Amino acid sequence: MASGESVAARWVSRQMVLLLVVLATLPLWIESIGLYPYLGVEIAIWMIYGLGFNLLLGYSGLPSFGHGAFFGIGAYAFGLFQLRVFESLFLGIACAVTAAFVAGAIVACFLSHRRGIYFALMTIAFGQVFWFISIKWHTLTGGEDGLLNIPRPAFELGVASAGLGSNTALFYFVLVVLAVVLVALWRLVHSPFGKVLQAIRQNEVRARFVGYNVWLFKWTVFAISAAIAGLAGSLFSMAQQSAYPDVMSLHASGIIVMMTLIGGGFVSFWGPVIGVAVYFLARDVLGAVTETWLLWFGLIFVLAVLFKPEGIAGAWQQHVGSGDRRSLARRAVAGFLSAGRK
Amino acid sequence: MSHVLPHLLNGLSLGLLFALIALGFMLIVGVMELINLAHGSLFALGAYFAMVIISPDLAWLGAAGEAWAVLPLPVRYGLAVFLAPVLVAIVGMGLELCMRRTYGKKAEYGLLLTFGAALVIEETIRLVWGPSEQYLQVPQAISGAFLFAGLIYSKYKLYAALFAVGAIAAVWLFLERTPYGAIIKAGAHDSEMVRALGINLTRLRLLVFGLGAGLAGFAGIVMTPIWGLRPHVGIDAVIPAFLIIVLGGVGSFWGAVIGGILVGLAVGFTGAYASELSLLSMYLLLIAVVTFRARGLLGRKSGLEA
Repeated sequence: MASGESVAARWVSRQMVLLLVVLATLPLWIESIGLYPYLGVEIAIWMIYGLGFNLLLGYSGLPSFGHGAFFGIGAYAFGLFQLRVFESLFLGIACAVTAAFVAGAIVACFLSHRRGIYFALMTIAFGQVFWFISIKWHTLTGGEDGLLNIPRPAFELGVASAGLGSNTALFYFVLVVLAVVLVALWRLVHSPFGKVLQAIRQNEVRARFVGYNVWLFKWTVFAISAAIAGLAGSLFSMAQQSAYPDVMSLHASGIIVMMTLIGGGFVSFWGPVIGVAVYFLARDVLGAVTETWLLWFGLIFVLAVLFKPEGIAGAWQQHVGSGDRRSLARRAVAGFLSAGRK
Repeated sequence: MSHVLPHLLNGLSLGLLFALIALGFMLIVGVMELINLAHGSLFALGAYFAMVIISPDLAWLGAAGEAWAVLPLPVRYGLAVFLAPVLVAIVGMGLELCMRRTYGKKAEYGLLLTFGAALVIEETIRLVWGPSEQYLQVPQAISGAFLFAGLIYSKYKLYAALFAVGAIAAVWLFLERTPYGAIIKAGAHDSEMVRALGINLTRLRLLVFGLGAGLAGFAGIVMTPIWGLRPHVGIDAVIPAFLIIVLGGVGSFWGAVIGGILVGLAVGFTGAYASELSLLSMYLLLIAVVTFRARGLLGRKSGLEA
């Protein structure tokens, strides 16, 4: 980034403001286009999840096919804290993030010297272990039914307090969390740490020869990504008021990879954001038309991998980069999408 | 000792079946350095194809269907065991044709394409055959139970294990004793040199993928009477296949067989003494092995690590 930029510009980008404004007004118009407010909650939660996941996949080039485990751990940890300890919003979330961070840190000890396919396979194995534990440890997790009746604790910060019982209130809370995650990750990927991650993605051996402790970087990024997944999971257990093993299955873990990729996580910071929005809209719009929407979505995904493997963000960048019809709007969108990788 | 023996046999036969499931997966990953996440879906597809072929109710084929229905079950079964894998192989070859666009790109794209294909195949199965549990008819001769050393065994499991041994032996003979096998192994070792020698590697890859898919379909047919048949049965197949390949070492034939048997024994024994944990054991086995041997038991260095 240019040194002349103001401090504010380094923390917040135009794209971020645009996204948050669109989302913030969402409860006002979502019903008029035939959808429902709860969808906004889901989308915002999965955006947090996807952004954290892309730190691993897009920025560090580490394909994790077991990330649902950390999402699930966050959900269970939050639920257990509310049900077994006491009702508290921030402590519950802190507990979820810590649990997912610790689990991620332990798993990362086994993974950080692996690369490529072996890395992916080990993440599958660990993901399955956690999924399995969640199903079998009835006394803690409630088995296949999961934890039910998880309360939504009220938001209390000093003098300000608000109930999160309604989906709209919860939505705005999730949105604030999303904003914090966005700013934090934006800073992280543009920090020296983020540059090293990208160097590892491009050539791990060279990054090591330059003198970076690649193992430690991979370990750290995995644990951070797991912690963010746990954060998203805690919000999800609030949204659903339950926590269940489904979100930890290989299928669910594959879906987050799919969302991130279809949006263009490899080429843009905004890839997972776009991918999540597309996935949920496809689910609800295609799902309303046909019961086998996943078939059509799968086909679209296959075609995307075949013809536009850089995802939606990549397609836009190419379109604008090569085309001679450079309208202002197109350039604006291209700038939006490429901003993540400047 | 006497109470250990049945568990040992049970684990061993289960292990051979796991090895059979991993066989097609091993072939594709070993030769093409491609993780075929659609392996499980092809496995399920094989079983569904076989179910259709075996079923006497083929009225939509007209006179041919009626003639088919008259054939006794063992004949229909025997034909299904051959025909269904061939059909699955054709589907697999179609998938390989799509795959070609991802060659030379990041390995993740191949992985994602097969993940998408798995989703599409599974949803198609759900669309065509419905989401409910289905059954695969088995000839009387190989079903039922028999007594051995005072214990009751399922006759089908014995035959299934024999099927697995047969398939493993056939693949081994093909790889080790035929010129095609030599070319396939050479192609995995140094594709550039093989191409320079004038061998059509493109066709070879198509063949290998077809073979791997066909083996997946065959495994599906053999496993279905034991596991049952649901659209998402594939996930039960692809995960062990994965684990076995990583456990045994990518690209190693005997690694896959030994990995399969180890997983079978682990699942069999934990199933006997702590049935709650029977599936967990294979993941723990994998983590234990790979922690100490990064490339699995018999693995060599592979291009997939870069």
